[in-house]
Amino acid sequence: MLKLFEREQLNLAKLPEAQTAIEVRDLCLRFGDKHVLHNITMRIPKNRITALIGQSGCGKSTLISCFNRMNDLIDNSVTEGEIIIDGRNINRKKENLSILRSQVGMVFQRPNPFPMSIYDNVCYGLRLQGIKQRRQLDDAVERALIEAALWDEVKDRLFESATTLSGGQQQRLVIARALALKPSILLLDEPTSALDPLTTLIIEELMAELKKRCTIVIVTHNMQQASRVSDYTAFLHQGELVEYSDSDTLFTLPEKKQTEDYITGRYG
Amino acid sequence: MRQVALNTHISGRFNIELENLRNSVMAMGGEVEHQLADTLKAIATNNPAQAETVILNDLKINSMEIQIDEECLRIIAKRHPTASDLRLIMIISKAITDIERMGDEIERIARLVTKQKLPSDVAIKSSMLSIGQQAAAMMRGTFDAFARLDEEAALEVYDQDNSIDSEYKKLLSYTADEMSRSGDSMEDWLEILWALRSLERIGDRCKNICEYVVSLTSGRDVRHTPLENLQQTLDNLSDS
Repeated sequence: MLKLFEREQLNLAKLPEAQTAIEVRDLCLRFGDKHVLHNITMRIPKNRITALIGQSGCGKSTLISCFNRMNDLIDNSVTEGEIIIDGRNINRKKENLSILRSQVGMVFQRPNPFPMSIYDNVCYGLRLQGIKQRRQLDDAVERALIEAALWDEVKDRLFESATTLSGGQQQRLVIARALALKPSILLLDEPTSALDPLTTLIIEELMAELKKRCTIVIVTHNMQQASRVSDYTAFLHQGELVEYSDSDTLFTLPEKKQTEDYITGRYG
Repeated sequence: MRQVALNTHISGRFNIELENLRNSVMAMGGEVEHQLADTLKAIATNNPAQAETVILNDLKINSMEIQIDEECLRIIAKRHPTASDLRLIMIISKAITDIERMGDEIERIARLVTKQKLPSDVAIKSSMLSIGQQAAAMMRGTFDAFARLDEEAALEVYDQDNSIDSEYKKLLSYTADEMSRSGDSMEDWLEILWALRSLERIGDRCKNICEYVVSLTSGRDVRHTPLENLQQTLDNLSDS
């Protein structure tokens, strides 16, 4: 029969390794006695946008922070289980965290440009990596700013302070800073909650463009945003993964009642 | 003419989705147009094989309706359309019901040929074909107005239904006379009457779709409004 609309529905449970960006196996995490994540097992597809949704305190941000070991910075955090990125378990002791964090970039809720010029912000990570050649840095800055859809707005003021930019521009600058390191995965923790609706749409459109180059995992409180931008969505509740499927299905015909209650605003 | 710009959203994917949705409605409309043309040919040449193909093809139209409806649902759930986008999706959802029903009406007419129950009276048959041609022209105009979201074209087509209605009425009274005189079975006559009614209904369905186009461009619900008042309302809107 004639198919009018093409829709991709990957089988997430049996996602082949080549298509998997992050594989989480039996991940448990506790802060001291407090269990935050319980036995999370999921495969996040490559070059797609995956959204994590759920109530405050359900473990979304904790889960996303596991993907570049940011939770290590919190005292008493104990992580069990495996997270496979690029064929290796990043939870192993020998993992080189600076390499991991350049491979897995992260952007937070509030734009956090460093108090330096736009140019220096973008090449901050590259300089840390020891790259000093001006030409190489220039190219990297231009490329990252183009990728973050900010180049046209700042190309004539690269050496002005980053704090003079608007909120939306600052957030794109922070994204450019992460992109300069050519990450294969970009983690976005509520990247637009401090921005106005139109700037939000610009960032969302940027995400749709960026997924051609890297895998994006986004945590959002805004369900409408999750439904707009994501290809796949995971719903977490009290540290457990309740439902994880393609966003078309999750937002039109969720399998679990708990998910339906949450997305329709019936959560009690 | 008021313009509805569908491809100017910040989200490129949303633009593509709306464009695909509209194109799929056009594709569905094209199928139904084709079905009517084939049915009229089958009647004119008394060709049951061609009519049989029309009946089978209706399944394709049904499937298109389901797919487009699902896509509307998906877009509403995922994109939260507002204002003209929301109106567009709502009218598409309604329009495809009308298009699918047109498909059903055409199927009923085609069954007249497969069951070999075409009217033996030459005058009835030729009037039937004439109404059919008018309905086909109206359908073409309707989909054309829809494709361009052209309010003026929609109003022009809207008016054509009156001519179909009056011809249908004439044909109906002529057929009633023939029925009382002829010795053919009542069942056969009923089939013919239903088919005539179906042809007339195609005009009504086209009219509905024209109303949707006007609703979309003007933002006013113009259903159940007489044509003269409708024109007046739209003129007032343009002036304001």
